Amino acid sequence: MTLPRTLSLLFAAPALQLQGVAAPAPVPADHAALMAKGLESFEREVAGLLREHCLGCHGGDKTKADFDLASRELLLKGGADGPSVVPFHPGQSRLLKMLRHQEEPFMPENKPRLPEEVIGRIEAWIQQGAPYSKPLVEGKKAGRDRSLVTEEDRQWWAFQPLSRQVVPDAGARTHPVDRFLAAKAAEKGLSLAPKADRRTLIRRATFDLTGLPPTPEEVERFVQDPAPDAWPRLVDNLLARPAYGERWARHWMDVARYGESSGFEQDYDRTGSYHYRDFLIHAFNSDLPYPQFVQWQIAGDEFAPGNPKALAATAFLSLGVFPTQITINELERVRYEDMDDMLSTAAAAFLGLTVGCARCHDHKYDPIPTRDYYRMLSNFTGTVRSEIELDVDPEKTRELKVGWKNGHDKLVAEQQQWEQANRPLFEVFLRQELPNLAEPAAWTVWIPKEAKTSAGTKLTPQADGSFLAAKGSVPDQEQFDFVSEAPQRPLAGLRLEAMVDPSLPQTGPGRAGNGNFQLSRVRVELEESGGSRREVALSKAAADFEQNNQALSVAAALSGKKGEGWAIGGKEKQPHAAVFSFAEALTPPAGSRLRVTLEFHGNAKHSIGRPRLSWGSGGEPALANPTFAAGIVELLRGRRSPEQTEDFQKLERWWLEQQAPWRGLEARRLASEKAEPSGLSKVLVASESFPPVKYHTAGGSVETYKETFVLKRGNVALKEDPAAPGFLQVLSRAPEQRWAWSPPAGATYFGKRRALANWILDESGGAGALAARVFVNRLWQHHFGQGIAAAPNDFGKTGALPSQPDLLDWLAGKLLAGNGSIKAMHRLLMTSDAYQQAAIKDDAKEKADPANALFVRRLPVRLEGEAIRDSLLAVSGLMDPQMYGPGVADDRSPRRSIYLKVKRSKLAATMVSFDQPEPLASQGLRPTTTVAPQALILMNSPLARSAAEALAARVIRGAAADATPERLIEGAYAIALGRAPEPEEIELAQGFLGAQAARLGAGSKTPAQTATEAFAHFCQVLLQTNEFAYLP
Amino acid sequence: MNTFDFLSRREALQRAGGGLGWLACAALLERTGFVSASAAALRNPLSPKAPPLPARAKSVIWIFANGGPSQVDTWDYKPELQKRDGMSLDGFDPKTGFFPGSAGPLMKSPFEWARHGQSGTWVSDLFPHLAKHVDKMSFIHSCWTGSNNHSPALFMMNTGSTRMGSPCVGSWVSYGLGSEAESLPSFVVMSDPLKRGLPKGNALNWGAGYLPSVYQGTWLKPDGEPIENLKPAASASDDLQRAQLDLLAGLNRRGLSATPIEGELSARIESFELAYRMQTAAPEAFDISSEPEHIRRLYGADLPHCKHFATQCLTARRMVERGVRFVQIYSGGMENQQSWDCHGDLVGNHRGFAMEADQPVAALLADLEQRGLLKDTLVIWAGEFGRTPTSQKGAKPGRDHNPHAFTVWMAGGGVKGGFHYGESDEVGYKAAVNKVHVRDFHATLLTLLGIDHEKLTYRFQGLDQRLTGVEPTRVVREIFA
Repeated sequence: MTLPRTLSLLFAAPALQLQGVAAPAPVPADHAALMAKGLESFEREVAGLLREHCLGCHGGDKTKADFDLASRELLLKGGADGPSVVPFHPGQSRLLKMLRHQEEPFMPENKPRLPEEVIGRIEAWIQQGAPYSKPLVEGKKAGRDRSLVTEEDRQWWAFQPLSRQVVPDAGARTHPVDRFLAAKAAEKGLSLAPKADRRTLIRRATFDLTGLPPTPEEVERFVQDPAPDAWPRLVDNLLARPAYGERWARHWMDVARYGESSGFEQDYDRTGSYHYRDFLIHAFNSDLPYPQFVQWQIAGDEFAPGNPKALAATAFLSLGVFPTQITINELERVRYEDMDDMLSTAAAAFLGLTVGCARCHDHKYDPIPTRDYYRMLSNFTGTVRSEIELDVDPEKTRELKVGWKNGHDKLVAEQQQWEQANRPLFEVFLRQELPNLAEPAAWTVWIPKEAKTSAGTKLTPQADGSFLAAKGSVPDQEQFDFVSEAPQRPLAGLRLEAMVDPSLPQTGPGRAGNGNFQLSRVRVELEESGGSRREVALSKAAADFEQNNQALSVAAALSGKKGEGWAIGGKEKQPHAAVFSFAEALTPPAGSRLRVTLEFHGNAKHSIGRPRLSWGSGGEPALANPTFAAGIVELLRGRRSPEQTEDFQKLERWWLEQQAPWRGLEARRLASEKAEPSGLSKVLVASESFPPVKYHTAGGSVETYKETFVLKRGNVALKEDPAAPGFLQVLSRAPEQRWAWSPPAGATYFGKRRALANWILDESGGAGALAARVFVNRLWQHHFGQGIAAAPNDFGKTGALPSQPDLLDWLAGKLLAGNGSIKAMHRLLMTSDAYQQAAIKDDAKEKADPANALFVRRLPVRLEGEAIRDSLLAVSGLMDPQMYGPGVADDRSPRRSIYLKVKRSKLAATMVSFDQPEPLASQGLRPTTTVAPQALILMNSPLARSAAEALAARVIRGAAADATPERLIEGAYAIALGRAPEPEEIELAQGFLGAQAARLGAGSKTPAQTATEAFAHFCQVLLQTNEFAYLP
Repeated sequence: MNTFDFLSRREALQRAGGGLGWLACAALLERTGFVSASAAALRNPLSPKAPPLPARAKSVIWIFANGGPSQVDTWDYKPELQKRDGMSLDGFDPKTGFFPGSAGPLMKSPFEWARHGQSGTWVSDLFPHLAKHVDKMSFIHSCWTGSNNHSPALFMMNTGSTRMGSPCVGSWVSYGLGSEAESLPSFVVMSDPLKRGLPKGNALNWGAGYLPSVYQGTWLKPDGEPIENLKPAASASDDLQRAQLDLLAGLNRRGLSATPIEGELSARIESFELAYRMQTAAPEAFDISSEPEHIRRLYGADLPHCKHFATQCLTARRMVERGVRFVQIYSGGMENQQSWDCHGDLVGNHRGFAMEADQPVAALLADLEQRGLLKDTLVIWAGEFGRTPTSQKGAKPGRDHNPHAFTVWMAGGGVKGGFHYGESDEVGYKAAVNKVHVRDFHATLLTLLGIDHEKLTYRFQGLDQRLTGVEPTRVVREIFA
């Protein structure tokens, strides 16, 4: 039997047992602890009891009724009447009923009932899993060794080669899918349901392939299309739409536990994750062949090293949650958990196996020994998650660059034009304005040749004449000495600028933790060529800001009193300046040098981080005076001929900088230069080649280990041998060398993941048959509402048997035989009659095949949250069709739902309400719940209301001005539901519109307003209907 | 369609309740043939289920003292610690807490201690109001947990696992017992309304993990509307919305009997009706202004220092009264001085948070008792871990994280009053006598609610998972009345 996808809720009812399911009785999660207890009790008493009361007839001298309890294996196998002991489930163990004389044959035969105390002990032991430490009779075979894989294990349907059944004959049916289904259904006397009408079909197909409803025009076109190939053409058309990738990528994102944050304590954003989602959309849309789809996600970097999309695909391995706040001694455990996440996800996604169960012990149901688990795990030794800068779409980047260059070139040309046009003005300036500028009251930046410090701060000259203090430890006390040739003109004062810089604490301007400084004293000295040195007296000081007007004023820097000095506390993070006037004008003699000393001996570490000095001349030194770049005044004074010399260019440049229009052009050009598209963005990848994303704490290191060990009970403290990379024995029918791959010389990757992918895709010798079954089953599940195998992530023994194994194998064979086109598989499934069946009630079929394992009924399926939300956006016309890019945090966004950011601690509420699973582990099957919060979203959320209003407006806009309410109702039905309303619906709607308008009209609104509003209310109701929310 | 059939199903559904209208698609069962149509209709994931064992409590109010309050300054009196103030503690591992570099010597409790009640229970002067109720409480002084880090310890306390992604206790309880609330969520969480943040790990502390999302906790937003989309738009007056829903029902019912998923679609029709009823029922439950003045004063709703917590405690009582199964109120926001996480300034920190919680929680106990609700309601006081008896050095000394010992108390709901179970060592560093791990606490909690913790399982990744995990677990029956 199969379980429909919605059935997972069944498990929600603890009381409910799945009657008649072939799967084994559930094993409690604490089975290990129970078995340990059971073993103890076996050795202490139960072995004795069994020997005393049972063994004589059952496995010792005799074996009555073929029931032998000498070993656990034999006990569980049972006798002629089948098993009588179900480990962990005494209630289901018939043996106890026989012992208690509640069921024939009473045991022990022909003897009095055993005391209840004895039976109780046996019962407890069964409840503990009925373990044996050794057989009761020497030489009897003990329980099987699960660390070995046997031929019998390979007999499980999912592990066998594809059956390659010929398509059966089934009367008039021609499509292979239909022939398989019809043949099987015929055994029960059932046949496929009739075809659905065209309106239903286009709605079904459009939702199925694009997650959106068809437009009224599309519906009409298809309904009117008389061509016999209208249906396959429709399918092709839908497969060609970008929305197809957006729909099917989302299905796979559940399987890939897609998230855009790290989870755990801080749940940091992982900005590079979205490229994986974009890879998926692009992969589906470009029909990336199935083998590559697998290869790239496991080892894209090894299969296609130069392909950025293949690199982005590897994020499949690294999307899992990742703790960011751990202690050092957790590193190794966390690393094993990380690898486990990679392996478990890959195994669930591609093989439908729960290999994680074999982490602590040999798998209890499936033939996966612990050793196989660690050998599989070892394929990921060294594989880490990294965020690297990558151009994911170089073609698009090239296009962008062309566009950018056009714009930029225009700007450059515009600027050059301006310069050309204004050159005469510059020449005029040179001719006429120079005399006036000979002695401007201006500042000229001084670029000293020497910059010495007393406590070791390294000062680096900057292009603008300033000096930047190097990062690192800041001395408590410091003194800067700047020495250089003195300008040969009358100087009136010194200006000190304290500039900001991103490298400084709080950007400075000071080097104290808060960005403040305290200039204890400033001194100027003149050194004449003869070597004599004299102090230049400073008469007064002024600053743009001072922390107070006393000890921390700029004047305090003149005296150099202990503890005092100029500070700017309260206005950090911005540049400041002070000017110091000379007591009398100084004209430095030729060959003399000036020395400026800045002392910082007040508050610790309060030196200036980026000082710049300028000399003032030509008048009263003031902060407001203009600044000339270093050398300009000399150039002007030199009045060299205005020819094409370097000096001339410097002069012109300086002049241009004084012109406001030019400055505007220059700013635009610089901004444009900065905006040159690089195409680079952060991309999440998994590989051995790049530095790993770091932990928040624990020293920031991510430990990767050179070897992966077999761990006892999954405990990193209990290491056994190193595990050589390898694969599951049960799925390997060839020597493992067959899949190995050696990376080229110099490669940074190890090649083991490529080997793993080779094995997964190898049909004849590896896991290829199973992987193909798992993949086509997922496709089938989304097209038909439930899988052929009902548990898409569990093809092992705890999963469900396939209802149509031959069909599943035939489809898997199709996938492998062709060119791996996934679109071809959609086409194949959708062109079957089975897909096109009408969803009609059929009591007889329901009774004969309640689980719809035969697929001869069509059951409508509730649309996923994404499709419902996207439909609201689509019918209202509000949707923003932009594709790709970073996740959108606000779920009120008009983008499609696949672009909503998946932040693990803050999942989009609408999506969660509609059953989007938590992205923590691979999920192949969403439950479908119908709960009131979903109704509240459609009743009260801003999205639902604005969609209704926009839909109403859209209908009214599209209708004639004098359209009757009936026409409007028809318009809304066409857009929202793709059909015309029936007479009764029109009647209901009209009644509603009239009454609602009357209720709305109570205020001061015009009749037209109330009619519009009532119509919006009506539209909202249409968006709430079952029909709107179900895939027909 | 047979109208009579429909109505009877509808009635059945209404009777089944299903908090917050969690009318899930019972009908699935019907369609899969496991149960008959009428039985299927009754089976929704939150319909109340009889507890498998005799239940001592029906609902839980858990005051989550977030950040890890100090046991030796609240409920676990240690005269020896008072004596050895300033002495170093032999065998103390400086890595017990989060700041190994700041570990100081033993530090006595700076608070005054006195005995209270007939039980003579020692309580520090942080809780003058709660001290009057010690004879209602069962204290477990020997609790311990597996992590010294907030978010793993919070996950442990809430989900039984330090890793993320497991269902919370409230989710398990909702899953096991369903909801008695007609139109309210089954599992409700209130966080700090004073903008001091959410507990570390955020919404994962009330997530359903691998259980269906229907079981996740409903977080009442501290600002604005407490539940998303609960309030109709201003323009949608009641009669307007009612008319919309009537039209909706009319349209939805057409052709219902001809569809193969009639049950599922009927459930969806009903979900709109439940949503409609919730719009009135839920705000009514949140509205404490209808409480009489003396009740509000009892909780301290008029006092600036505790009115926010008073409101939350009073809301919790109103919820429980209306059948809500599991309520958690977080005392304190995120960490450090935003919560009980007293790394520095033990006195200021604990004094402040105790003042916020003391009177409201005491009033909650008194109020539940006077209404006869206390016998069915288990009130829990517990944080995610305890603190070191040693100081964390600083200008104002504090105490660091300590996973080895903390005190939890429970009141009402079938536990003994004035009872003490387990002991920490003589200075309160480690649980010493009758140690109780978090999973034992969880098992005890489930047992009080009438659930066998070994049998409440959910199949996920091929295994039957459960709240209490796979390690040996012990129910602390000693505290049962």
